[in-house]
Amino acid sequence: MGDITLTMNGAAISGREGMTILEVARENGIDIPTLCYLKELTPIGACRLCVVEVEGSRMLVGSCHTPIAPGMVIQTHSPKVLEVRRVLIELMMASHPDSCIVCEAANCCELRMRATDLEVGLPRFRTRLRYFPLEDENSNIIRDMSKCILCRRCVTACYNTEGKKMFSLAYRGFESKVIYDLDKPVGSDETCRDCDTCISLCPTGALRQPIKFGQRKKGPVLYVKG
Amino acid sequence: MPQAKIVLKNCGIIDPKDINTYRTKDGFKALDKARGMTAAGVINEIKTSGLRGRGGAGFPCGVKWEGARNSPGDEKYVICNADEGEVGTFKDRYIIQNDPFSLVEGLAIAGYTVGARQGYIYLRAEYSYLLGLLRGAIDQAQEAGYLDGFNIAIRLGAGAYICGEESALMESIEGKRGESRYRPPFPTVAGLWQKPTTINNVETLMNVAQIVLNGGGWYAQMGTERSKGTKVFSVSGDVARPGVYEMVLGSPLRELVEGLAGAKDIKMIQIGGATGRIIPYDMIDTPLAFESYLGAGAITVYNKSRDVLDIVGRTMEFLAEESCGKCTPCRQGMEWMVEVLGRFHRGEGLARDIGYMEVLADTMALSSLCGLGQAAPFAVVDTLKYFRSDYEKGISGK
Repeated sequence: MGDITLTMNGAAISGREGMTILEVARENGIDIPTLCYLKELTPIGACRLCVVEVEGSRMLVGSCHTPIAPGMVIQTHSPKVLEVRRVLIELMMASHPDSCIVCEAANCCELRMRATDLEVGLPRFRTRLRYFPLEDENSNIIRDMSKCILCRRCVTACYNTEGKKMFSLAYRGFESKVIYDLDKPVGSDETCRDCDTCISLCPTGALRQPIKFGQRKKGPVLYVKG
Repeated sequence: MPQAKIVLKNCGIIDPKDINTYRTKDGFKALDKARGMTAAGVINEIKTSGLRGRGGAGFPCGVKWEGARNSPGDEKYVICNADEGEVGTFKDRYIIQNDPFSLVEGLAIAGYTVGARQGYIYLRAEYSYLLGLLRGAIDQAQEAGYLDGFNIAIRLGAGAYICGEESALMESIEGKRGESRYRPPFPTVAGLWQKPTTINNVETLMNVAQIVLNGGGWYAQMGTERSKGTKVFSVSGDVARPGVYEMVLGSPLRELVEGLAGAKDIKMIQIGGATGRIIPYDMIDTPLAFESYLGAGAITVYNKSRDVLDIVGRTMEFLAEESCGKCTPCRQGMEWMVEVLGRFHRGEGLARDIGYMEVLADTMALSSLCGLGQAAPFAVVDTLKYFRSDYEKGISGK
């Protein structure tokens, strides 16, 4: 049984040492939204969507990488936290192209699902779009970096589960980009195999498989609230 | 109590190229004294002194050292953060230029106390011309036998502001992309190469030798309740006498800016560089201490001829450029801030964007991964508070 007791949303719950706030919350049926988090892998901590309020902390803390401590008092869905999460989603959408209607990932797009869950309205923080040409020469993977929200799942997964380093990060600030090789498009004769790890993990339509003739769009139809 | 010289005691007096001149000024006596004490004794002395980190965050130095000392591990590191990247600071450069030996001594004391055999000085790339001087100081101390069992290596940065942030600095030393890490684990538990590490600013380490030599009680006499000792300020901007000034903490800002630096017609003062706070002239009697405003001690004075939106816009442009791009609020938020401030500057602003700026500033401060993103919106928040009319003038159609 658990050996660390803490309070989450007013209820006393317990977890084992070494667990993160997110793991304890999920074990107890509290859903904290995440984007960059990958179960079992080293936390990334880049998207910040999983932030929660911890009593005594000036900032909100990322629940996917913060270990639990005895006596923690945590609010996972306070108005403050929800507002921050909404702004974060809006920021991710800020430079994301408005092409959901023709995007193949639209019905299984995690970014869109999180936005729907949080009832994000019209984006307030539009910025210039990040435009990159479509990389569709490879027979296993199509990359559209315009849609990338830099969650780094592909980078982490490729390294940790496949033991490869196909992707890495380059440039800084708003210009940051997940790059392939020394920032060249994924070509037709690359060593990248058809393991599909990164494609299945991409929360947006930035990475996808080349669509085959007669193949349908994936996922159930997504109804947008509001 | 205005000026006092603790950190800058030897500056201009000793020859920075010659260890013997430093020896005549009680040089390395503190290191000998520290080695005669137990590590717990040194930590106790530092704790009594109330010395807080001089890099901006103001974390108690003694607590940091104790944390690293008590962390399990056979290999530990001490780092001196000489990546003085904050806009408008040049105190560390002045210190290294004039008294590199005190820094070496401070780092050696830190190494002894924490139990580290390896120390690093992370020097920013722009200061590469100080490399020879600093290396000379280390070599001379080594030859004189002061650094037995302790090795100091210098690492050069590559020109990134973010690498002045402690975790990004460690990533950089490890040879990786300079990006901040999430905390916990804190560096005192898992820092450089995941080993217990203490990382201190140049100025913090400059205080250490003095504290060990004269006792923590002596040091704690100076300053206010929660800010002990002195602080070196870099004063720049619209002042008659820009430069480095050392003052006892708690001294009024007016004395420094108007008295020592000779500023006139002040409109506002930015304390702490790009991520610092902006205060209007009315608040010039604020004491300089961790309780009020301090940061890394950069004081940039703007006179009445300056345009608020221009200054804030350029500050934001700088921070947007220097954001590492890891976390969403900082990467995306800064870009939006820059675009919106540009619109206000051109007189094309939208009234609703003022409210949005406040919302975004809140989110950035609450959810960013490191100090850069958390403190980045300060310039906007403060000018919205004190100079709101300037923003309103930038609204389209007004």
